[in-house]
Amino acid sequence: MNTNSNTYTVIYSIILVVVVAAVLAFAAMFLKPTQEANVKKDTISQILTAATVQGEDILATYKQEIEAAILVDIDGNKVGELSIEDCEVYDNAGLKKQTIASEKALPVYIFKNGITVVPCYGAGLWGPIWGYIGLEGDLQTIKAVCFGHKGETPGLGAKIADEPSFAAGFAGKQVGSGDILFEVAKPANRKTENNGVDAISGATITCQALGKTLNQWFGFYQNYFAKNGASQPSTEFVIGDIVIESVEPFNVEEE
Amino acid sequence: MANFDFKETFLNPIFKGNPISVLVLGICSSLAVTVQLKGAFVMGLSVIIVTGLSSLVCSLLRNTIPNRIRIIVQLVVVAMMVILVDQVLKAYAYSVSKTLSVYIGLIITNCIVMGRIEAFALGNKPFASLVDGIGNGVGYAMILVIVAFFRELLGSGTLFGFQVIPQAVYDFGYMNNGLMILPPMALILLGCIIWVQRAVQKDLQEK
Repeated sequence: MNTNSNTYTVIYSIILVVVVAAVLAFAAMFLKPTQEANVKKDTISQILTAATVQGEDILATYKQEIEAAILVDIDGNKVGELSIEDCEVYDNAGLKKQTIASEKALPVYIFKNGITVVPCYGAGLWGPIWGYIGLEGDLQTIKAVCFGHKGETPGLGAKIADEPSFAAGFAGKQVGSGDILFEVAKPANRKTENNGVDAISGATITCQALGKTLNQWFGFYQNYFAKNGASQPSTEFVIGDIVIESVEPFNVEEE
Repeated sequence: MANFDFKETFLNPIFKGNPISVLVLGICSSLAVTVQLKGAFVMGLSVIIVTGLSSLVCSLLRNTIPNRIRIIVQLVVVAMMVILVDQVLKAYAYSVSKTLSVYIGLIITNCIVMGRIEAFALGNKPFASLVDGIGNGVGYAMILVIVAFFRELLGSGTLFGFQVIPQAVYDFGYMNNGLMILPPMALILLGCIIWVQRAVQKDLQEK
């Protein structure tokens, strides 16, 4: 057979592509439930990190330590509940939907240790970035954070997720009020006193994106914070063995 | 190929014709994933599977592949294998797949895979090609593991995540070498491996 004829080449490539597509589609469908369970577990483990809760079995720890998982609208009113029994959480797709939804149902995870965890989600430099912010009872003071990203530059933007000192810098900072709720920039460029952390040098765009994302999401929750935060005294949780490290003071270089 | 020498086909790419240290292929991924042994190990295993299976499939198809689109056909086969490996890792080794992130996907750009298909699998029988693919994968994985061993040991004081340098040594003032974590040290270690190999195998030295 002439394997170099046009007809053969076209038919060959069509068959090849169809076969490969079928194999991949089958594999994707077959493995999807396991993969989704992993992603969910990973999401919950990030929420637990932000809530400063530790445990071996992530799902069991979550069920044990969570007080309530509720949904609130933009005015801070409760509009629904997430099932604790099924460990129901918003994944990234769910968070993405909320950023553009006109009728919002934003997740709030309240833990038994008094920490409330809220998510954030936005666009980084190369792909989405997200995070979970654990707040003290006053809903103003940040206790711990856990950030994640899809594909920020390793060693630069990726540090928002894997540089412990960056996350540690958030501890004890306040969510502000007014136009600027939170800033990620070097001190000289910050307009507020205690509502920001140092950016990472060499990761300017990622850090700016993170600041923007945090602002947007704290904005979503502003009414909820105002309604529910004042009822509890803040001092109880604020002072602890918080180590505030400055990450790196300058962010002069671009990625 | 009647006189197919199993031992030669398998061992040549591991030592004498090692894809990384002799042919200098697949350098970038070897720099990126060798901070920890676990990542290097999984990456090595993934490459072994991809090189082995895609060589096998391409060799099975070798007489039917239209010559004009043979590179594309190879690419499709390799891409399929890489996606399969990526999907399986995401399902059964999620934390590792998160550490390796884009690098699993980038196996497709690894010159070793395409290089072996083009140079060997298209002209040899399936079993010989499978052995050649696996041999090249093992050669790649071996270098990765050696580099990762030194980087993790000297950079973090651990092996496979377990602390191996005792606390007493740290009390004497020993410190983990932070440079080892950074990619340049992988390149330097790789250079050392090539140096040692060339010192041992004199016929590799250029005149």
